Amino acid sequence: MIAARSIASRLFFSAIVWSLCLLVCTGVVIATLYRSSLDRSLDQRLNVYLRAIVADIAAGSDEARGEPGQLGEPQFQLPLSGLYWQITRLDSGQADIKSSRSLSASKLPRLADLGFEADALGVRSGNVVGPAGEKIHILERQIDVGDDGVFLIQIAAATEDSEYQFTTFVIYLAITLAVLGLCLVILSALQVRYGLRPLHVLQDEVRAIRRGESDHISGVFPEDMRPLASELNLMIGFNREILERARTQVGNLAHALKTPLSVIVNEMTQDQSSSSDKVVEQVQIMRRQLSYYLDRARTAARYNVIGVSTEINPLIEGLVRTFEKIFRDKSLQFDIIMNENFLFRGERQDFEEMIGNLLDNAGKWAATAVVISVEAVPQSDLHNLNHYFIVHVEDDGPGLPPDLRNTALLRGGRLDETKPGSGLGLSIVQDLARLYGGSLELGQSARGGLRASVRLPRI
Amino acid sequence: MRLLVIEDDRDLNRQIVNALEQAGYAVDRAYDGSEGYFLGETEPYDAIILDIGLPQKDGLSVLEDWRKAGIKIPVLLLTARDRWSDKVQGFDAGADDYVAKPFHMEEVLARVRALLRRSTGHATSDLICGPVTLDTRAGRVIVNGLHVKLTSHEYRLLAYMMHHAGRVISRTELIDHLYDQDFDRDSNTIEVFVGRLRKKLDVDIIQTVRGLGYILIAPEADNKSVPSV
Repeated sequence: MIAARSIASRLFFSAIVWSLCLLVCTGVVIATLYRSSLDRSLDQRLNVYLRAIVADIAAGSDEARGEPGQLGEPQFQLPLSGLYWQITRLDSGQADIKSSRSLSASKLPRLADLGFEADALGVRSGNVVGPAGEKIHILERQIDVGDDGVFLIQIAAATEDSEYQFTTFVIYLAITLAVLGLCLVILSALQVRYGLRPLHVLQDEVRAIRRGESDHISGVFPEDMRPLASELNLMIGFNREILERARTQVGNLAHALKTPLSVIVNEMTQDQSSSSDKVVEQVQIMRRQLSYYLDRARTAARYNVIGVSTEINPLIEGLVRTFEKIFRDKSLQFDIIMNENFLFRGERQDFEEMIGNLLDNAGKWAATAVVISVEAVPQSDLHNLNHYFIVHVEDDGPGLPPDLRNTALLRGGRLDETKPGSGLGLSIVQDLARLYGGSLELGQSARGGLRASVRLPRI
Repeated sequence: MRLLVIEDDRDLNRQIVNALEQAGYAVDRAYDGSEGYFLGETEPYDAIILDIGLPQKDGLSVLEDWRKAGIKIPVLLLTARDRWSDKVQGFDAGADDYVAKPFHMEEVLARVRALLRRSTGHATSDLICGPVTLDTRAGRVIVNGLHVKLTSHEYRLLAYMMHHAGRVISRTELIDHLYDQDFDRDSNTIEVFVGRLRKKLDVDIIQTVRGLGYILIAPEADNKSVPSV
């Protein structure tokens, strides 16, 4: 499937296409108008000469007829100057042609013979090849002055000048329109960029929420985007509300089930009958199953929740405070080694559950001390945009042989029944870590005991 | 020793109270957070067993309010919410220990013993004063290697004095810590119990401090520790 073009490129390219079309059309229209203006101007100029000659002939003066070119235009006197007149008497039966000196010995062709049609005033106009081989524009009119005869009057001018003017004009027009087009391209790009900026801001805000750097969209948006931002905030809030509700329900369920289980266990413990042991045993199984599936339910409720991040230092300190109290009779030393405060990309409760289980495990086995240390994972793969940190929990207890470490990670895998616990701790840590794209590894601590290392995503 | 159990489930409350009474404690009970808070604030308990999920006022709020009010009675939390985040929250609110539901009653009894022991500065569950040893786990009294049989009231009296050995204890304090709130309190009964206890132990460790009360003191430390009156 071909990926859809971005909105920016859609807007930009459509703006460019429309702009270019408009510019080309504008250029063509302006050039055409200029061309017709030039032609009209030439026609008007020749028409003036034509009417002057017509006036001379109509005056009936032979002298004037013989030299009607007193038009005040020196170009009529210069040979092959590009400006010509020619008067041909049509009713004499013989060739009676008079022309300007500029025509020399040449004659102007008759447009009527070349098939040009006359207009309403009886004037023909057309472009033909002139006496010097140049392009000329001819105005031709036949007048009848009664007894004085019928004359064909022709005025011609070379079109070279107007062609030159037109070409020059077109070049300047093209340059102007090209510059205008370039400006439009730049302005379109700026306009698209400016217009879509709120969208980019929104994109950045949503990304920040997904990464857990923010918990709601807070930017200032244009009026037409505000409903979208507000809907997104509502959706994020709703998502969080569902999570909170699920968590509360799970907590209530835990309370609702575990209290009666306590009553049953204690009632049965006092009962001396043979069935009571079986009941107590089954209740213990129910307790384990309940804990396991409630944990899964909590985790499932939390999965894919966006916009969550957790500062880990206070959590580790809080857990250590708790474990110092829990293991106070054992006088365990808890040491924290943290050079940096990382932000865990996930829920506080999950982080506490993972590290709490590891500390609980370490505390049960440690002889004198438990060390918790945190370090950043160097980012080796540039394509992998996720950053991680590792929390190591080490103890100075007996440790765990490599072949038993996998067993310890299995659900219910208890390697020593003399220690309290359900056997779910490390399995829960592993499941939760995997859910967040991390991992749990067990190894040998330099202090002699177990070293549990949980890798988790950070911001 | 006098304890308070705050648990809204009446069956569980009854079971805990019975177990504690059988173990020799005087026990008061409450079924909701408000009543529990009031009792904890007004009565001098030696330890409190507090459920987190309570009607009217939840257990954590009760605990936080006690701590804010300067009440330092050791508190054992009962919680069905057994995630570490809940436990951290409980300890940060001022709890001294916790038991996750469902639990065996022995576990609660062991935690209560440990709480009482720690709160009075004892390292082991055997409390020793001269020739007298009180095994708090078994609830037995041994004098010069011989087991001495005591009634529950005598045991309570000795246990309280053993936990606070070396300190003068007034009759009022003894009444406050040996009887639950429903008991008809009469300070003369204390003198009767002390007399019986002296007779049964047959060693001179309980001394009367005139005008103040009693002090439990080992015979060899006798001359050094008795405050002058």
